[in-house]
Amino acid sequence: MIWKESYKIGVEEVDKQHKELFKRLNNFIKTVRGDEDDKETKRKKVAETLEFMGDYVDEHFSDEEKLQKKYDYPDYEKHHEIHEKFKAEVREFAEEFSENEYDEEFAMEFSGRLLTWLINHVADTDQKIGEHINKVKEERGEK
Amino acid sequence: MDVNYLNPILDATNNVFETMMQLEPKRGDIELRDEVITNNQANVIIGLTGDIEGSIVYSFSKEIALNIVNEMAGMEIDEIDKFVTSAIGEMANIISGKAATGLAEKDYECDIAPPQTVLGEDTKISTGTENILSVKLETKMGDFQVNFSMVKN
Repeated sequence: MIWKESYKIGVEEVDKQHKELFKRLNNFIKTVRGDEDDKETKRKKVAETLEFMGDYVDEHFSDEEKLQKKYDYPDYEKHHEIHEKFKAEVREFAEEFSENEYDEEFAMEFSGRLLTWLINHVADTDQKIGEHINKVKEERGEK
Repeated sequence: MDVNYLNPILDATNNVFETMMQLEPKRGDIELRDEVITNNQANVIIGLTGDIEGSIVYSFSKEIALNIVNEMAGMEIDEIDKFVTSAIGEMANIISGKAATGLAEKDYECDIAPPQTVLGEDTKISTGTENILSVKLETKMGDFQVNFSMVKN
């Protein structure tokens, strides 16, 4: 995945985490799309990169929501809901993935959707947080 | 067909292409058809229910579908596979979500159904209305069409 300057929201700690999230999703996608003949090895690698990404999704969402609260982000509830829905989707996939045989189509379908979802979330939805936080920072004399 | 509800959908399309891909789609030919026969590879159908009923069919050429996904993923995928259709489908889903918000602002309350992908050229897609308005959009990464097949309730 290519990180672009236009994805930045203008809040350093969030931008740093978004970059890391892109990196981890990139690992996951590369593994899903990678050539690995042995199904069991591939399954293991996909599970690992999925967990590595999923852990960071939880950490990042939690940090970002704390920041939203700190700066009284008015859309906090709605944004929290979007995060929860996404986390649930990742969890559901991880569960189904671990319970069944390796299903290439299923993994491809999920990772393709994730790619678009994350770019849109960062490039669009999260931009409003950046605008709000920077406005409040200025009002509070933190800038 | 009432253009009043086409604009929010086209605006949403432009908006998503701009924020996600830094592309500004330019409006090309507009045609009135009686069925959707695609001449493009990757087609995404999104159903609408509520004040406006019907479907929007996004029809992407192989070129633009791969260009979009390769740009997002930073990869060189040369065939349309499940990953590509899923990524494109989600993009259409995001556009429709925004379109629904735009329609609500014009007092049309609509619900959107999850995207369905249909692959292959020369595929006839039945949409249930007699008139279909097909708008061609041109970008630097290739062209695509948005087909509107809908009626006002």
